[in-house]
Amino acid sequence: MTDNSKSFFEFEAVISSWEILLKGFAVAMFAATLATALAIILGLVVALMRLSTVAIYRWIAFAFTQFFRGVPLYVLLVWVYFGLAIAVNINLSAILAGVASLALLNAGYLSETFRSGILAIDSGQIEAGLALGMSKQDVFKEIVLPQAFRIIIPPMGNQYVDAIKDSAILSIIGVPELMRESQQLANLNYQPFEFYTCAGLLYLIAVALVSRGTNRLEKRFCTQGAQN
Amino acid sequence: MRNSNYKFDWNVIEKYWPEILKGLIITIQISLVGMVFSILLGICLANGKLSTNLLIVRISTSITELFKSIPLFVLLFWIYYGFSLKFNFALTEFQAGALALGLTGGAYMAEVFRAGLLAVPIGQLEAAYAIGLSKMQSSILIIYPQAIRIIIPPMVNIYIGLLKGATIVSVIGVSDMIYVARYVSLETFAPFELYSLAGIIFISLTLSISGFVYFLERKLGRSKVDG
Repeated sequence: MTDNSKSFFEFEAVISSWEILLKGFAVAMFAATLATALAIILGLVVALMRLSTVAIYRWIAFAFTQFFRGVPLYVLLVWVYFGLAIAVNINLSAILAGVASLALLNAGYLSETFRSGILAIDSGQIEAGLALGMSKQDVFKEIVLPQAFRIIIPPMGNQYVDAIKDSAILSIIGVPELMRESQQLANLNYQPFEFYTCAGLLYLIAVALVSRGTNRLEKRFCTQGAQN
Repeated sequence: MRNSNYKFDWNVIEKYWPEILKGLIITIQISLVGMVFSILLGICLANGKLSTNLLIVRISTSITELFKSIPLFVLLFWIYYGFSLKFNFALTEFQAGALALGLTGGAYMAEVFRAGLLAVPIGQLEAAYAIGLSKMQSSILIIYPQAIRIIIPPMVNIYIGLLKGATIVSVIGVSDMIYVARYVSLETFAPFELYSLAGIIFISLTLSISGFVYFLERKLGRSKVDG
């Protein structure tokens, strides 16, 4: 162990740069939240396409899910930001490339979640809705979605947690999020241990808060059984 | 969109594919080492969670939650730059990468093992005791062989996660596939082609493994242990 004249752990530098770290944390949360929101919309569209009666929609949706569930975020990010952007000569800002990649990836996972959530609704529910004279669209909106929503709250929360964790990878393309700022501060102050510990703690807090929020939502909406 | 000056040169792939393949082998190696470590850690944590000692349960649960919550990317930096410098603990890039993968994977594995062990009906254990097997014997001979069937499909899924996670170890300088692709693209200035190749290799790898899981699930599902 190194023998320093000063104390072993020095968190003064971390504390004095709290403003930068907090800003980085906000950027990370912004990126993760925006990406998850986009992924929910896109995921729903893809899930509906997969359940469509038109074969070509199903194939496109299937290819989409398989592709984005198979590719690692790091590879996608590097491919989009360093490969695609250079090849077709578009000026993609780092944050845009990052959020887009994160959203596409999460949409791949969420579409499967949505699909299984929708399929889990008993077909009797749909038949009953149709028998009451509701239109197909109304049945979906008023009967299937609200029930499917209850089922998918927990996996959706997990996906949000994953997005928060994955957002750390955005630092490699220079998005000024928490991990990027921590890296720079760690190098500047030559205190990697302190800064990375702090970053880890902040992610830990964010994940714990989201998990707690998901649990609360689940308790609120899932008091009755969603099936049948 | 402006006219692109980028000249597609797919010949680089022909020229450099052995290098990329070498990188891929390192990616697979590090993910496998990480996997072995995850399994060991997962077994320990799962048994800790199922312990009758409340303190051990608390500790195992906290460790699981900790490594499930910290991003792999942060853990990697924390281990390689933070921890090893602070405590003068010399780790190679490969070791640090495998350790980070193992810790994250172990936390997920703990949940899988716990669920698998709990899924074996309690009557099996009671029966094992009744015929005079010791605690150790009944775990090894009765519980684990039955639990393993339930555990294997999610375990392979965790492995896919680790394989995908293993792509980021290049940030600390492990010469894996992405590292090679980046290195070669600096030389040839053909990033699009090289990253595309890396992506395609990766997708085909993960898809074939998940296809295998699907097959396993159907195969093992038929002989599932039930009450």
